[in-house]
Amino acid sequence: MSGDKIGTDNLNTKLISVKRYLPDRSTEPYWQSFELPVDDSTSLLDALNHIKEQLDSTLSYRWSCRMAICGSCGVMVNGIPKLGCKTFLRDYDGEIRIEPLAHFPVQRDLVVDMEIFLEHLAAVKPYLIDDNPVKPFDPAAPQTYQQSPAQLARYKQFANCINCGLCYSACPQFGLNPEFRGPAAIALAHRYNLDSRDHGKKQRMAELNRHEGVWSCTFVGFCSKVCPKHVDPAAAVNQGKVEAAKHTLIALFKG
Amino acid sequence: MQQRDFDIVIVGGGGAGLRAAIGAAEQASQQGSPQRIALLSKVYPMRSHTVAAEGGAAAVTSAEDTHQAHFDDTVSGGDWLVEQGVVDYFVHHAHQELVQMERWGCPWSRKDDGQVQVRRFGGMKTARTWFAADKTGFHMLHTLFQTSLKYPEIERFDEYFVLDLAVHDGAVVGVIALQIATGELTLLRAKAVVLATGGAGRLFRFNTNAGIVTGDGMAMAYRHGVALRDMEFVQYHPTGLPGSGILITEACRGEGGILLNKDGYRYLQDYGLGPETPLGHPENKYMELGPRDKLSQAFWQEQQAGRTGKFGDSDVVYLDLRHLGEKTILERLPFICELAKSYINVDPVKEPVPIRPAVHYTMGGIETNPQCETSIAGLYAAGECASVGLHGANRLGSNSLTELLVFGRLAGEQASRRAAQTEWADSGVLKAQADRQQALLTRLCDGQGSGEKWVDLKHAMVQAMESGCGIYRTEEGMQQSLAVIRQLRERYRQVRVNDTSKIFNTELLECIELGCGLDIAEASCLGALERRESRGAHQRLDEGMQKRDDVNYLKHSQVFYQGDGHAELRWQDVDVRFSAPAERAYGDAGKEGKA
Amino acid sequence: MDKSSSQRFDPLTRTWWLKHRFFKLYMVREATVLPLVFFILCLLAGFVSLLQGADSWQGWVAFMGSPIVLALNLLALAASLFHAATFFVLFPRVMPLRIAGHRLPDNMIVAGQWAGVLAVALLFFWLLGRA
Ligand SMILES: Cc1cc2nc3c(=O)[nH]c(=O)nc-3n(C[C@H](O)[C@H](O)[C@H](O)COP(=O)(O)OP(=O)(O)OC[C@H]3O[C@@H](n4cnc5c(N)ncnc54)[C@H](O)[C@@H]3O)c2cc1C
Ligand code: SF4
Ligand code: FES
Repeated sequence: MSGDKIGTDNLNTKLISVKRYLPDRSTEPYWQSFELPVDDSTSLLDALNHIKEQLDSTLSYRWSCRMAICGSCGVMVNGIPKLGCKTFLRDYDGEIRIEPLAHFPVQRDLVVDMEIFLEHLAAVKPYLIDDNPVKPFDPAAPQTYQQSPAQLARYKQFANCINCGLCYSACPQFGLNPEFRGPAAIALAHRYNLDSRDHGKKQRMAELNRHEGVWSCTFVGFCSKVCPKHVDPAAAVNQGKVEAAKHTLIALFKG
Repeated sequence: MQQRDFDIVIVGGGGAGLRAAIGAAEQASQQGSPQRIALLSKVYPMRSHTVAAEGGAAAVTSAEDTHQAHFDDTVSGGDWLVEQGVVDYFVHHAHQELVQMERWGCPWSRKDDGQVQVRRFGGMKTARTWFAADKTGFHMLHTLFQTSLKYPEIERFDEYFVLDLAVHDGAVVGVIALQIATGELTLLRAKAVVLATGGAGRLFRFNTNAGIVTGDGMAMAYRHGVALRDMEFVQYHPTGLPGSGILITEACRGEGGILLNKDGYRYLQDYGLGPETPLGHPENKYMELGPRDKLSQAFWQEQQAGRTGKFGDSDVVYLDLRHLGEKTILERLPFICELAKSYINVDPVKEPVPIRPAVHYTMGGIETNPQCETSIAGLYAAGECASVGLHGANRLGSNSLTELLVFGRLAGEQASRRAAQTEWADSGVLKAQADRQQALLTRLCDGQGSGEKWVDLKHAMVQAMESGCGIYRTEEGMQQSLAVIRQLRERYRQVRVNDTSKIFNTELLECIELGCGLDIAEASCLGALERRESRGAHQRLDEGMQKRDDVNYLKHSQVFYQGDGHAELRWQDVDVRFSAPAERAYGDAGKEGKA
Repeated sequence: MDKSSSQRFDPLTRTWWLKHRFFKLYMVREATVLPLVFFILCLLAGFVSLLQGADSWQGWVAFMGSPIVLALNLLALAASLFHAATFFVLFPRVMPLRIAGHRLPDNMIVAGQWAGVLAVALLFFWLLGRA
């Protein structure tokens, strides 16, 4: 049927340059180029795997699912943050330049330290908070909450984040100040704030309603452009600003 | 080398590991004495392979459904090679675990009235599979990970690669892990250890699994004398994308998708799964909703008969969803659309999706008793790495996500109970074992040896497994594969890595993973060769072995590690206390057959 | 060993926004405030001169008529339209509107905002015409 669309017959070669950093050998990064055979279905991750298996086994990078769901394989492709497994070489002409994700400390080659990203995630209490449930969970008579499809739809988009960190590499405010909680963490907080089952918004506001929370954002918006899962974290952050402002006002009136 | 002490160490941050950690934390606080829990994973927990599960998780939910029915489906699905006591426990605890997930915030798909929705799944008599669009595993894993952040007693060791266990006097005393970022060894002393390291799909060339699914935990337990059980049973999923092997979920068929051969004919009706169900009215256990082993086998038959199409250099059949309409497809199967468009440039709304079978799931694993404990005291296993006896010869889709929860929790609780009554062992054993591991690492990186390359060995291994242990197997093919694997194990002793760096040395990790893979590949081949019958996912073409043989083989295979020598196989009785083996039939043929 | 000891970190330089198109566009959006500030200052000066008497007012009118000031204010108009355009597109994402549980499509909200601008402008010209 569609067998001709893809396959080994469209074989050609491409030039990939990778920014290498091997701290046990040198404190300076350097560029290394590889020429490799590609076809229409070759992803950047396939290319990196090819390099590792055939050309230079010392190249280090992260990957796992190779289907754009585990969030491991983010890199800069010609200066834009992308998932390696969802980037296809067919879409590029000329040399392709690969660097580690921007704004994170580089551990080695294409591997960055994601620790700070995880700290930001954990800081916003990203779990369902319901301290006085109408019906506590009882394993003997387990009962779910009710949630209509419309209630689900309100937060669903923000629950689709795969924690790849691309949005942090796209965010100049995070680049200037790594203490900024950043797009994905705030989107996650927003996801729980919008969940009809949750009652933790007040607790999360302490994190969100401060400079390193939503107020560092100047709505550059690039985070949402690069997000591979259409989470639109910029929308979450800016809806968060409205919520935070409301929160401040209410606190003001309550004295 | 740094040493840290914990009450419980959990290896693996996938669904099973996270559920075990939470289960242990809850159990400890119920016991009134908080325990310190270490959770180690070679990748950040949310990268674990559970994230890729698409279809759903099964539990008896509707009023018309019964535990007995779920039990029957699972037992017959596993071709009676299951531990029936274990299945009984499973079906009775499945629902409460899924509800617990809901209470933790899992965004299950809903019906208009606000109740959780269920969908059909292959081999299940009724619709009882909970789902979160077509990203169920993703949502479950993230919910569990995020919920685990609530428990300060769980200390995470992200990107720590566990190399080995330390065992003394028949009891586990700790684990040895490599901090990937620095290349340093860390020793974790523990009163109980839970292995939740996932399956071993990467033993095969063409598979639906993530790159990290390399069977490390299985190898660790196996090398310390725990039996690997039923390793010959490897599930082929009927619908992987050609080229990459990326999974196209069974939920596509649950929603009404149909399978066509190159002539546009619904060929499944020719393989005991008919009669043809009307378009848009899928029926459980008929046609496209037959079990995976049968569907993959039907593909093979079509391929032999020359009725498959071509996509690139793969033989394929076609999954047609178009009649479901754009709205349903986009709402229920958005991820599938994204995958098909990106990876093979086909839009399921407009074209049938070419697919082919791919290795998907490891039914066998680390043998445990019904309480998840292995033959080593204090060592537990749960999830895909374990063989608690739930899946037998063939796993039913959507039983394993539930398994992660039911048995992950159980393993965590058991570990906590044991830790409450045990003292730490002397750290001498742990140190000695760590020294051995250090020596091994040093050797791998010393640049000496005959220069065997792990890449070559890996390619040879996946090739051998695919050709000898495929959908249909022959005595000769399996013998050949076993011989090749044994030879590769010998060559592996000479293997060296190029990269001598300590920092984030992924070449070293791949090389260690390959060592694990080769050991369990031998177990898998040996089990397959010795099982001279056809059952579930293990189908032989040899004369006289094409049928199930309950007289001789209603038995679990157990393979025991023998160091550099050849592994040994024994047989173990199966728990058939509730339901005697019967014909495993689907389609109309299955109508009366079973109660 | 601490893993951070061997890490490399490139801090952002002051020219970070020159790196690609998206950032440049963002900087243009932010820079639209400059001509707007000029326009506001003109307006303020106008009020002040109105209070100061006819001479002063005439001087202001002449000043406003000079080609450079005219050009700058045209620029301010263009800038505010551009800013409005970028802002209107962002608005539905900041305040998603819902009617009976259904989210209004983004382009409807954007169109609504432009309709608002048009209405205000028409009202303004109508008032001007009557005066
Ligand atoms: C594509 C796909 C779709 C699926 N869909 C479904 C479905 O719809 N329904 C269903 O029921 N089942 C499904 N399954 C099966 C199910 O997803 C898996 O069986 C299950 O997720 C395995 O979970 P786990 O917790 O046992 O292991 P994993 O999620 O694989 O986690 C293993 C963990 O162990 C860690 N680990 C491994 N080795 C080491 C080591 N040496 N050192 C440190 N850490 C280590 C890893 O880092 C990881 O955290 C699917 C499987 C696949 C491949
Ligand atoms: S919001 Fe998008 S870009 Fe950011 S981490 Fe999540 S999935 Fe990645
Ligand atoms: S490898 Fe998992 S997202 Fe790319």
